[in-house]
This record gives sequence, structure tokens and C-alpha cells, in this order.
Amino acid sequence: MQQTQTQMDYFNQRLPFVIIGMIIFSGVLLLQMISFQQLAPEVAAELRPDYDRTISLASARGTIYDHTGQRLAVNTLEYRIGISPNLVSNRARVATQLASILNLDELTVYEAVNSDQSWVLLAPRVNAEIGQQVELLDLSALTIDKIPRRSYPQGTLAAQILGFVSGDLQGYYGVEGKFQDQLAGRPRREVISNIPFDLPPEQEADRGSDIYLTLDRDIQYLIESELALSVAETNAVGGTIIVMNPRTGDILGMTSWPSFDPNAYLDVQNAADWSNPAISAQFEPGSIMKVITVASALDAGIISREWTYTDQGRIEIGGRVVENWDRLAHGVVDTTSVLVNSYNVGAATISLSMGPNTFYTYLSKFGFGRLTGVNLQGEAGGTVFIPGDANWSESNLGTNSFGQGMAVTPLQLITAVSAIANDGLMMQPNIVSKIVTNGQVVPSKPIALGRPISEATAHLVRDMMVAVVRDGLDEDASLPGYTVAGKTGTAEIPTPVSYRSDAWIMSFIGFLPADDPQVIVLIKLDEPRTGRWASQVVAPIFRRLAERLVVLMEIPRDDVRLALETQGGAVDAVQR
Amino acid sequence: MSEWFEQRFRDTPWRLQRQAIALIALGLFIALVIGALYLAQSASVATLGRQLEELITQRNRLEQTNEQLRSEIAQLRSVPRLLARAQELGFQAADESSIEYLYVNGYNPNREAVQTVAAAPQQTAPVYDETFIGWLQQVWNDFSQQLSGYSSEVP
Repeated sequence: MQQTQTQMDYFNQRLPFVIIGMIIFSGVLLLQMISFQQLAPEVAAELRPDYDRTISLASARGTIYDHTGQRLAVNTLEYRIGISPNLVSNRARVATQLASILNLDELTVYEAVNSDQSWVLLAPRVNAEIGQQVELLDLSALTIDKIPRRSYPQGTLAAQILGFVSGDLQGYYGVEGKFQDQLAGRPRREVISNIPFDLPPEQEADRGSDIYLTLDRDIQYLIESELALSVAETNAVGGTIIVMNPRTGDILGMTSWPSFDPNAYLDVQNAADWSNPAISAQFEPGSIMKVITVASALDAGIISREWTYTDQGRIEIGGRVVENWDRLAHGVVDTTSVLVNSYNVGAATISLSMGPNTFYTYLSKFGFGRLTGVNLQGEAGGTVFIPGDANWSESNLGTNSFGQGMAVTPLQLITAVSAIANDGLMMQPNIVSKIVTNGQVVPSKPIALGRPISEATAHLVRDMMVAVVRDGLDEDASLPGYTVAGKTGTAEIPTPVSYRSDAWIMSFIGFLPADDPQVIVLIKLDEPRTGRWASQVVAPIFRRLAERLVVLMEIPRDDVRLALETQGGAVDAVQR
Repeated sequence: MSEWFEQRFRDTPWRLQRQAIALIALGLFIALVIGALYLAQSASVATLGRQLEELITQRNRLEQTNEQLRSEIAQLRSVPRLLARAQELGFQAADESSIEYLYVNGYNPNREAVQTVAAAPQQTAPVYDETFIGWLQQVWNDFSQQLSGYSSEVP
């Protein structure tokens, strides 16, 4: 009994230690279990791919519209259809179905479906309608890849302005290239949980900005049609037409020939066809430059409207002889006659009177030799040699005055002359009307590049340009009922050693109504074969174009416009 | 006698065991209810997630279809096609002489567009009218539906 009592005492004394030990052990176990719930970062990272998957949400490219809201560039989907033959159970039936939908030869499809290969491409590119029909077959053996594609629903219209988007969704040339970042938006990567209890996150892709151009689709179509017709009629090798609002610099239409189809941009013979010659091709402007020379001299006070010189038919400048186009002497000639009759000797005499400093300062003010800053990709700055350049000589002062020995782009030329139409204020050419990003509208505002000449000078030169069309060589450009101001240019084409004697670049620039210009047009034809002078070849084309342009732009005849304005204001058109 | 009885009854071992069993049973029941509610909630979340996935897919497909249709509309409204259609219908291009300009007193076609600022919609506070009992009932209904769904799937 005594021994039993002693054992119980021992037991009772040790029992708390055992209990404490068990509690500690349990606690350790519990902590270890909790630690298992919190995975080490490296373990969690290793397991993460099994929990989540990352999807790439390509941003939808923004749409390009003309200024009336007509779609010029949109997004479409194409489908690439492939098949894994070893996963097809009923091969004959599948071949029949696919051949019918894909419009392929049934035997060819059957052979593909029976192929030993693990995967066969059935159709590299089919449209969305066919692709969706294939999707409805719901065959696990089919591989259907959706390929985003840029589509130009107006076909070739404004191709050189729009540019194109390649297979890697990168924009090239024109608006697509210039506004690549805004149009493309930002692609987004989203982590999607594979755990069914996790709700899916928002998977809406970002969208690029929509761009509204200043372009008018109807005017663009008109000038493209007119240019194609003119090139065909005159057997020219190319040409350019630009239509602009001289008040704002907004480009209403711009085209060059030859062009390309942005839906099939790889079909061009020459990659140069992708560029926009209206902003990148440089040419010697010829007699249109006389307008700039006269305007500069008038503004600098070197000459006045009443200024005269004695025309001897030729003048020597820096060792080079300059002659009139008709190689005749005309005696006493005034400022207006220099433009009306397009005398080279008169223009050279004026530039000599100005001197190189004043002359080239004005050329710079008019923007020659530098970019206009138009919001299109691929603009060239032109070439003007100034005193101090290795290629400049004193003869340049004479020849530059009538547009020889220098190179300009069509856009530079129309921008400079638009300053005369716009009371001396030169506006930056602009192709974008507004940019819409997620509903936020950012309109573009007219930007003045400067005021190369005063308002009074601009009006003086404008009146002289009216006389050129009304009384001068360019009367074929006149439009009954409208006062047109304009000037032609017939430029020689330089070669590495001299000038070609068998081909010329002929151009005409004009604006109307002369007293309140609403539109300015530049037409340039490369090597036309139906005449020797632009006044014979291009001036009639301007009249034909202007006849349609005044209808599209609802510009009333001068008498109607002035009569309505005397009644108190602006006018609007009502078609009968 | 009565003291003896009360003491014997109070110290009865089986009575203590019954209390413990009742407590364990109660704990098990509560754990079961909580587990069932959790399962029901998880299942409904998973179902909702799948529905959302399907809706997102459907929305994307509809957006693609819309874009495709817009492209087709733009093609159908291209200038050459409209010109051809107009000629088929007997229309002729207007020339300058076929336009009559009218003076409309007080009307200026070149006026600045005035955008009317739409009144901002009034924010209404969301209404929370769900009670705990109602939520419990909803969960129970979902759970019942799932159970009936499982039973109906049994062949």
C-alpha cells in the first residue's frame, strides 16, 4: 500500500511535465501547420503558372474618318483555318463541310484531312463571314486563328494620305504612319485566374484614338478622278492635285498619280508608290515663283505697282543669260505685265533689284527650303541654295526668281501662295480635324506660320493674279461667273548636266473667289505631251475641276454672292 | 435519503458523457452548416464566374461583328458605288446653274456650333435592403437547387 502510494506520488509529480511537453509539441505542430499555409515566395512563384494565365489584349486601332464622318480606315478580322487530321473522326463528312464553306475543291480538302502530318493549313486568309461559319462547326480538330487586319473601305481613295498598316499592325506612311502611337493605343496584358472561384477581371481591350481628317471625301474623289482623266488625256507620267482652304490651311483633298490600293499595298511595282509626292516630291516650280518674287519685292518696297523696266528680251546674271519664254524683247513693261505675260527677264530684274539678302529672306519667310510641318509622314523640305552655300552662285538670284535652280514640294508651293489668298497670313497645312480619345475630343486649331507680306501687298498681288487669268496667258483657267486669281508655271526638268528639252513639268495654282478666297487649288502634271505650255495644258484642267468644285463646296457665283451679301450676310445653297 | 439521491444522480458518469456528446454533436452540426454554406457560396461564385466569361466572349464576338458590319456599310457607301447607283436611279450630277442660292433672314450657315451641355445624371444611392435571413434563405435555395441538380443528374 505504501509502495503504491509512492508510485502515485511520482506519477502526479511527473504528470504536469508530460502535459507541458505535449502542449509544446502540439504548439510546434500547430505552428508548422500554419507555416504550411503561407508558402515560401519561391514555391509560390513556381506554382503561380498553374494558378494563373496571362492573356494579351491587343488594342483596337482607331478609325480614320473624313471631316463628314465617312469611314476611311477601319478594323476587320480575318481567319486562318488549319486542321489536325489525327483528331478528325468522320473525315469524309468534315472534308465535305469544309470544302463547301471555304469554297475549296473537295478532293483537295479530303487529301488534307487524310494527311499524315500533325497539322495542315487549309486557308491562310478568309473573311470573317466564312470564319464564323467554320467556327459554328465546333470541331476540336480545327485550328481557327483570328488575324486583325486594317481595311480601307473606300478602296484607293486617299491612299497616299492614309498610308497603310502592315501585318505587324504597324502604320506606315501618311496618317497611319504619322499617328501610329495615337491610333494603335496600348496593348494590355491581363492575368486571368484558373481557379474557378475567382471572378474574371474586366477584359476589355484599350482602343486607339479615332482621327477625323480635314479631307472631304467627295472633293478627294473629284480630284482623283480629274487627275486620272488629265493624266490619260495628256499622256503625262504623273501628277498632283492639292485643294486647300487658304484661310485655315485645312487640306480638303490631296492626290498624286500613280497611287496604290492600301488594301493590297504589297502589289505595287515600286515601293516609292507608297510615298505621297504631294509632300515629298521636289520639282522646280517654274513661273509660279514669279508671284512670290513680285510679292516679296512689293512688300520690301523695292518696286511698286507702277514700277517699270525696259525689257530687252534677255539679261545676263552671274555669267548666265536669262531669256523670256518667247525669246522676244517687250520694251517698257510694268509690274503687272511681268506676271500677266510671265516675263523671265522681268522677274530676274526684280530679284536683282532686291539683292540676295532681301530676296532669300523673303523666300525663307514664305517657307521655301524648310518643312511646312504638315501632320503627314514623309514630308520633304525642298532645296534652296543661299549665298554662302557651295552650290549657290550669283546666277541663282536671277533663275530662282522665276522658279529655276531651286526645288519645292507641291505642298510648299500651295502653302506659300495661300498667304497671298489669305491677306498675307500664311497658315500651316493641316490634315487632322480632330482626335477623339475615349470620348474626349481634341480639335485641331489653325496655326499661322507667319506673315511673309502685308495685307496690302497681298491684295495687290491678288489683283495681279486676277489679271493673269482675266487678261493674260492663263485665260483658259477662267470660270464664268467667278473671279479667279491664278498663275501657271512651265518648268524645265533638270538632269545632272543640263535641262531636258523634250519634257516639262506644268502646273497651275489658283484660288477663288479672288476677293474672298474659299479654296486654293494646285494642279501639277509631269511631262504632259499635249502642249508646250501650262497655260495650254493645265489651265483648262483647272477650269474643268473648278466647275465641279464650286458645286461641291456650294460657292455661289460672284454676282449672287455679292447680291446676297448686300442683303445682310452669308449664304447657303439650295439645290433645285 | 434525498440528499444521497441528488448526489448520486449529479455525479452519475453517464450524465457527464451525455453532455460531452451533445456539445460535440452541436459543434459538428455548426461545422456542417458552415461548411455547407461555404460550399454553396463557392459554387454560386464559380457559376457566376463562368457566366461572366461567356458574356465577355459574347460581347467580344458582337463587337467584332459590329466592326465588320461598319466596314461593310462604309464599302457600300463608297463614292463609286453611290455614283453608279445614282445613275441607275436616273440622277444627274448638279452643275452650277442648277443651284439656287437663297437668302434666309437671320440664318448664318457658318455659325459656330453651340454644344449644349447635358445635365449630369443625379447620383442615386444604392439601396441595401437585403436582410441576413433573406441572404440565408437565398443561399439555402441555391444549395437546394444544386442538390436537386445533382440528384437529377444521377441516372
